[in-house]
Amino acid sequence: MTKTDSILAGLTEDELDTLVSIAIRRAEILDETQSPGADDAWSEVMVYEERLAALTRPEDIPGGVARVGAVTAALSAGRRSDAARLASRYLSEEAFPPERREAIQRAFQEDQERLARRFPSLAKTGRLAELAAWRANTSIYLHVFPRAA
Amino acid sequence: MHPRLRGHPTDYARFGALALQRAGHDTPVQAGVRHGDKESTADLEWPSQDPTLLQVLDGNRITEDGAEAVALAYASSSAGWVMKRRLQRSESADWLLHHEERWLALEVSGVATGDPWARLEDKKRQVARCSLAAERLAIVIAFDRPDILADSP
Repeated sequence: MTKTDSILAGLTEDELDTLVSIAIRRAEILDETQSPGADDAWSEVMVYEERLAALTRPEDIPGGVARVGAVTAALSAGRRSDAARLASRYLSEEAFPPERREAIQRAFQEDQERLARRFPSLAKTGRLAELAAWRANTSIYLHVFPRAA
Repeated sequence: MHPRLRGHPTDYARFGALALQRAGHDTPVQAGVRHGDKESTADLEWPSQDPTLLQVLDGNRITEDGAEAVALAYASSSAGWVMKRRLQRSESADWLLHHEERWLALEVSGVATGDPWARLEDKKRQVARCSLAAERLAIVIAFDRPDILADSP
């Protein structure tokens, strides 16, 4: 267990609700200004959402919000492998409602559409998947290529 | 207002006060309320803020976060809704609130000047797209009057 994990494990759902609310607003503002810090901000949102998902039931509204939120925050941070890992985990939960499953599928679709708008030439030639591989290779240098894809 | 949100850079109460002061209002002020087809009034009172902040803070943020301050206070005082958490944009609503066994998806916007009714219709359409199994409400704050406009899709 990392230090971050142990700190998060000590937080209540109410405390995490507060932290995720602040983190989302901060990430939105950084996104609007196209700040290089936006990826880190969305990563922080992902961490809180993931912890909230662990504390809540998939069939309840807060649990459904946190699960979809963890996936969408990972996508917003450009962490698509994490998004896929989380989606796989949550979609395997039997009690996860159909509407929330659709929300996760929609998040991936919207991420692809966003990428296609950003890289129209790659999208036209069907090469968007290459971005994921490139992103994985450069992910250890996120502060050098923070908003690349 | 959630007690843990006080003092944070996103200080909703401060932004609400600044948005009202920017529009020329002094505390306290009576706001007109139109919730669906019902009309009423609401008394707004706030700790006065240093007006020089208006010169250094982003005007759009004052309007947006100020509207959230007034809207959340209205939702709580008028119907007992309590903030649960902020929602990400993909949920087509800004806030999730609860009251006993009920849930509310709330979409908020603010208008510094001009016609707020078109904005309310936009926000009703937006929150109608929210797929959560919750009630839905759009609130627009018109700071120049000031008015609180609320309606469900």
